Amino acid sequence: MIRFSGRLRSSLIVGLQGIRARKLRTLLSMMSLFLGVLAVVLVQAGAETVRRAALDNVELIEGKDGTLQLFLPPDPKIVPMTLETAKLRKDAVVSATTSAIIGEPGVMPVNPGGAPFDAQFGPDWGGGPDYEVRCDPRGGCRKVEMGQQMPRGQAIELQLTALSADIRQFKPFRPQSGQWLDFTSPPSLAPRVVLNKEAAKGFLRHRVPAEMRIEGAKANMTPQVIGVIDDGQGQPTAYTRLDEMLNWIDASAMAQRGGINMMLSPEASDLIPVMRSKLEALGQRAESLHAEPVQSMRRVQSQLALIQWLFLGMASLVLLIGVAGILNVGLATVGERVEEFALRRAVGTPRMLLAGIVLAETMLTGLLTAGAAIGVAALTLDQVGRFMPDLPSVVQDLQFPWQAGVAGVVAGLVAGLLGGLIPAVRAARIPIATVMRA
Amino acid sequence: MTVLVQLSGITKTLKGQEQPREILSGVDLSVHRGESVAVVGRSGSGKSTLLSLVGMFDRADSGQYLWREYDVTRLPERKAAKLRSAEFGFVFQRFFLLKHLTAAQNVAMALVNGQGWLPRRKRRAKVMQAMEKVGVAHLATQRPPRLSGGEQQRVAIARALVRGPRLLLADEPTGALDTETGNMVIDVLHAATVDDGCGLILVTHDWDHASRMGRVLRLTDGVLKPESGGTVRPQPESIRILEREGA
Repeated sequence: MIRFSGRLRSSLIVGLQGIRARKLRTLLSMMSLFLGVLAVVLVQAGAETVRRAALDNVELIEGKDGTLQLFLPPDPKIVPMTLETAKLRKDAVVSATTSAIIGEPGVMPVNPGGAPFDAQFGPDWGGGPDYEVRCDPRGGCRKVEMGQQMPRGQAIELQLTALSADIRQFKPFRPQSGQWLDFTSPPSLAPRVVLNKEAAKGFLRHRVPAEMRIEGAKANMTPQVIGVIDDGQGQPTAYTRLDEMLNWIDASAMAQRGGINMMLSPEASDLIPVMRSKLEALGQRAESLHAEPVQSMRRVQSQLALIQWLFLGMASLVLLIGVAGILNVGLATVGERVEEFALRRAVGTPRMLLAGIVLAETMLTGLLTAGAAIGVAALTLDQVGRFMPDLPSVVQDLQFPWQAGVAGVVAGLVAGLLGGLIPAVRAARIPIATVMRA
Repeated sequence: MTVLVQLSGITKTLKGQEQPREILSGVDLSVHRGESVAVVGRSGSGKSTLLSLVGMFDRADSGQYLWREYDVTRLPERKAAKLRSAEFGFVFQRFFLLKHLTAAQNVAMALVNGQGWLPRRKRRAKVMQAMEKVGVAHLATQRPPRLSGGEQQRVAIARALVRGPRLLLADEPTGALDTETGNMVIDVLHAATVDDGCGLILVTHDWDHASRMGRVLRLTDGVLKPESGGTVRPQPESIRILEREGA
């Protein structure tokens, strides 16, 4: 260990002396390598940013990795059983989704079918004199006959998701304003509603009365909008408490209209066999309960991996040119330093250390280049948001990812190692007798 | 008195030329501790090759080389490097000082060679001690281009002495110097041999310098023969060492 440490220190000391003595050559090596390392750093930074952005949205929409999703058969008898089973569990959330219209009664909403407010749907886009195109929240569009058409009015149609507990443990919604649903307080007859950003956009644009109608409900309700969140959805959506909704609409009717599902933490997987047994008791097949873990990370990563490897391949080609530059300068330098290396061998420097000295020089050059490339890349990312304010927020809030820094350092070191290998071998092979015959 | 070098029947043929030429044909040589030996001969007679073999830069084709009674004829390069670092000091005709380093850093080069590690303070002390011994301590921060030929050679001698070698090998150390400076360098080498009691093999063309050594050998036709009958002329330093060792 002491010997290794001595050799390592010796090679670093002599390597640094060599770099100081040949500043121009070091600079030339760095210039040839700079673009390659910068390409690797930028590709890694870009890939990491895209991965983060994609994953953030996927987590909001699908849920965190490992979350178990239970899809239940649309049977009215199942809803009370499901609610009863999940009632005392904080690690299980039942959600029922339906569509709701808030605003003037008896009118057609400004966004029929719960379409996004900027979407060009309706007669102007895909309709005709006697029909209109309506799109559901999942993006599926269908023809609607105009025969039963109501007059247009100040109402907003949105997707309403009623929750049995706080779903943010699975979907980390980003708060925008106001507050989130409080599941500990007693249920209110005026359902408390949290809007997503798209729904909030509609309420900002249109002044609508506070009356909410849901098909199958006993009466229209008066909703209380208490907050706005970002849920990653493009469609206008509102979240409310399931128990508050059940004051107005029968659970089985709700299940039949929009479907019901359950999200479980991985630790709550013991509920699955319980649910299956209860399903069998209700006369359903146990297999009709479909459980599926969320694998957002793996899916996003596998999608991005191919593109990332493609870009890294291109960056590696640029890096290879830098390696050739280091190799070129390294060979020329060793050629010039024949006497120095022979002399070092004469004073007892082992061949391995001579090779180590050359490698230390090229690897330190690579490291310096990596430092410069990382600095430039970090500065560029920092300035992007400042000079291009129209870019999406994910790019505006961009921070230089540490993975890109590591990739840059590794690229610099590997380039130094590859570029210095042949010069190092040559240096180690210089015969000592060179100094005697000089 | 300890025998440092004992060569017996050493032969060496230089290859890579049109016709291989046997440059050493059965050289016998022994050098004792505290002894100084001059090797003279025509250019191309094989003096530097002989020094290369003694300094383990190269290997003999045949014969035996004992270093302090250990057979080092076929010593692996790794061990030879270690031995070179610990036991030998080399002085060359062209000084071989690195221009980008200061005089002190050039001397320290022999200590920063991967054969053991000395902390900076100890390294510096050793370097200054060696430089003081040859009278160039005041030039420690100067770079070689700013030094005279004599000063450069003294720095090179300090580099050879810094590890406290047992044997100094000097290959025409005065070849690039004027007579006066050459004499001064030989004085320094002499003094180093006296102070440290190490052996010295001096390859030279200069008879005046050779005659100051304890023994003068001439290399002719690949064989080493004593000059002037080969009598060893005891020198003050050799006598002192002999007395110290009770021989």
